[in-house]
Amino acid sequence: MRFFSHQRPEIPIVDHIKPDGSQWTIKEKLWLGLSSGDYFKQFFRNPVNWLMIAIFVIGVPLIAQRYIYGLDAVTHGSDDYPWGLFLGFGLFGMVPLSASGFMLGTTCELFGRKDFHPIERLALLNGLLGYFFAVLFLEVDLGMWWRLPYPMFVSLGPAAVLFLVAWHVATYLSVQIAEVLPAFFEWIGWLKGKRVIRKMVLGLTIAGIILSTLHQGALGALFTYAPGKVHPLWFSSNFQWIHFFCSSIFAGLSMVIVSSTLIRNFAGWRCDDHFKNSLDDITVKLGKGCSLAMITYLVIKIVAVAHDQEWDYLLTGWGSYYMLELGIGVILPMFMFAFGVRNNSAGLVRFAAWIAVFGIIWNRLNTALVCFNWQLYQEIPHWKEVWITITIYSLYFLTYRFIVYRLPIVYEWKGEK
Amino acid sequence: MKTTVSRRNFIKGGLAGTVAVTALKESSSQAATFEGYPDGMGVLVDLTRCVGCRSCEAACNQEQKLPPPEKPFDDFSVFDEMMHGQKRRTDETHYTVVNRYDVPGLEHPLFRKIQCNHCQEPACLTSCFVNAYTKTPEGAVIYNPNVCVGCRTCMIACPFYIPTFKYSSAFNPRIMKCIFCYDTRLKDGKPPACVEACPQEALTFGKRNDLIKIGRQRMVETPGKYEDHIYGEHEVGGTAWMYLSSVPFDKVGLDTHLPKEPILNFVKDFLGIVPMVLTIWPALFAGFHLLATRKDWLKNKNDDAHEEE
Amino acid sequence: MCTRKMYHLTMAMAVGSMLFWPQAGWSMDAADAPETVEINSLSKSYGGVHFDHAMHTGIASCEQCHHHTTGAEVTNSNCIRCHAKTGEEDSVSCKDCHSSDRFSKKDLLKLEDPKLYHIDKPGLKAAYHLNCVGCHQKAGGPTGCQDCHTITEAGEKMFQTGKFAPAPTAGSGHGGHSSH
Ligand code: SF4
Ligand code: SF4
Ligand code: SF4
Repeated sequence: MRFFSHQRPEIPIVDHIKPDGSQWTIKEKLWLGLSSGDYFKQFFRNPVNWLMIAIFVIGVPLIAQRYIYGLDAVTHGSDDYPWGLFLGFGLFGMVPLSASGFMLGTTCELFGRKDFHPIERLALLNGLLGYFFAVLFLEVDLGMWWRLPYPMFVSLGPAAVLFLVAWHVATYLSVQIAEVLPAFFEWIGWLKGKRVIRKMVLGLTIAGIILSTLHQGALGALFTYAPGKVHPLWFSSNFQWIHFFCSSIFAGLSMVIVSSTLIRNFAGWRCDDHFKNSLDDITVKLGKGCSLAMITYLVIKIVAVAHDQEWDYLLTGWGSYYMLELGIGVILPMFMFAFGVRNNSAGLVRFAAWIAVFGIIWNRLNTALVCFNWQLYQEIPHWKEVWITITIYSLYFLTYRFIVYRLPIVYEWKGEK
Repeated sequence: MKTTVSRRNFIKGGLAGTVAVTALKESSSQAATFEGYPDGMGVLVDLTRCVGCRSCEAACNQEQKLPPPEKPFDDFSVFDEMMHGQKRRTDETHYTVVNRYDVPGLEHPLFRKIQCNHCQEPACLTSCFVNAYTKTPEGAVIYNPNVCVGCRTCMIACPFYIPTFKYSSAFNPRIMKCIFCYDTRLKDGKPPACVEACPQEALTFGKRNDLIKIGRQRMVETPGKYEDHIYGEHEVGGTAWMYLSSVPFDKVGLDTHLPKEPILNFVKDFLGIVPMVLTIWPALFAGFHLLATRKDWLKNKNDDAHEEE
Repeated sequence: MCTRKMYHLTMAMAVGSMLFWPQAGWSMDAADAPETVEINSLSKSYGGVHFDHAMHTGIASCEQCHHHTTGAEVTNSNCIRCHAKTGEEDSVSCKDCHSSDRFSKKDLLKLEDPKLYHIDKPGLKAAYHLNCVGCHQKAGGPTGCQDCHTITEAGEKMFQTGKFAPAPTAGSGHGGHSSH
């Protein structure tokens, strides 16, 4: 892409109108203003795309296998371990990493912090896609995937935590679609739609906070159904939901830092100067938020151990593993965030964000898989399960990139708004 | 101008949202207080009587029309089968299994049948978000495969590792678990097939309340024979199927660390905050918003006033 | 623990679905009993048992199987509280006390009587088995199902054995995950 943008000043597209005064068609916008030949040329020049192709060549048949021969054919899902990677990573990992939408929505729209504005749309998109793909992961995992709407419309079990998750994720998904739509409307040039949404934005944002607090917490509360099965250190009847909610705050923020870093480094042509110039500053500010959320999280984690009198467990092998998780996944990035903020080093904050993202996935996998059934045996996911997970994550990556390349997410639309 | 409009809309939106979700919450708190039926039936499993003949397994297979087993039901080599270091458990082709426990110091091994315990406040039921489970007044916990979406949360929640999933089926998967022979027997007041087949009456069928009396009577009449505990009387809020044993229950593969209260109680902390978040959050964040944007708002208001003049 | 006590005290007892006439006198003795008894009133999965009563009278006392019904002296400290002087009963046949439709609605209804002491009286099938198997385990008698019974066709079908045995590949249940 960089190659073309040097030759053709009208690319990347930022306006409805070409330099010669004619309109860009939607088709041209989709092809990024390139001819299809040129488009594929740049597509295949990118080694990342080759990697994606390799993943899909094996992953797609595996997904087909899952739908034709059942979960048994591709996963190690069992009666002892009903949940595997699809939910452990896809649902419990993706959802906290997508908390960015409501975090920055709240900061910008509710608290009126205009300084975060350049990254708001990216955060919203990150949220929307994360949730969407979490649902996709769920669709791979559900035994009767064709009954996805049942908990909403056919047979309601409102006393269950998962009911709350289902409703909230579904409503929140629509809220996020609404929040990202303005970017789409700008891009296709349908301003009426944008104005309608604009009027609802505050209501949407508030709804977003409520729904997010509850369903992020609810994902944690799901594990409180298994008091004897999840290792006591990862389990807390009283605090589980706060742990999950609180960690989703820095998870979401860290994920935006990571994705904005990737976009700035690998899709710099798409970012406008406003975005590029303010990014370091915003990153450091987000880092501050992360470090605050992390210290809160850490304190509540310790309170939970103290409350349930679990100090003894800390001396066992599981205890060491627990402290390793907290040490690498939380304390280390927490200090890095803090130092990064103090020295105004966006680089350090970015590095910390990578670790924090890893740490949160690690924590969720621990809760859902590693420390689940801790008194039984250890479940090791089937390689096909791993590959399908990677395949769907790649699809997420491609969709993410597809949208960022086109819609005014990290740049401002020059045309009518 | 912009902010004033947003304020009004925001309050409208916020309220509507709250009402909608509070309505849902209403129904959920009702369901959350659900308790077992006092007159429900149950079964008392007496481990000192069981001889490990597997008649119950055979009868269940026949009654529930389960697929043929790998080995005949009179093949006792299954007692030595181990999977992941665990003895046999219920699975998609076995609603019930009998396992052998060689207890040190005991002349004869003990055998323990396991199946769904038909909890008074079943974790499977309370965790299911499509209401696929029902606790019938007769005491059975039954399952409706027509609404189940296959999320398998009930399997996560069941403290006894009972519900199993038909992983092998792509188009017709479902949960497989003992249903107390509800459709074919229990609802007509008949004992389940396994109980009827048991030659030793290791399985005593009756009203749960009566079974507790019977269990106590056995303890009184044969002092020293039994552990002074009916497993299931209080475990996870009480179960309809209960156990008597001559050795501590953990020696025969029953989890003795289970809480006395229903599993749902562990979730109540979270369920309790739901209404709080729903009611306090909108007001709280509305307040934050007003504070944070007060200056803008005042300025806009003045501008508006000027425009209108 | 004490498996022995159990068998002493289980109220389940008695062997035989026979007709039996009480004799004059305070108690009856083994000589009054028939030599062999065909126990087959319940046979379904398994055929009946040809019970050598005469042989068993040499091994066990009447009370061990017939409780207090034969009028023999009651020794069990629990039973003695009521049955020390109840004497010989009209019937000593198992089936007259132990229900053959155990756990039927009618049978369970009897438990509703709040004054009933014997709330835990086994049904006929269990009375046989608890008594026989219990003693056999201690005395080293045969305990396998087919040591006493011949399996019927219905039994083979239920146990999926013999000519109903599963093909070697049948069945696919996995408690843990299967090893692919
Ligand atoms: S034993 Fe498990 S499956 Fe059965 S009712 Fe209780 S929670 Fe449900
Ligand atoms: S109650 Fe019925 S379904 Fe349950 S184990 Fe017994 S025979 Fe099987
Ligand atoms: S039928 Fe009765 S004695 Fe035989 S294995 Fe089952 S519970 Fe034990």
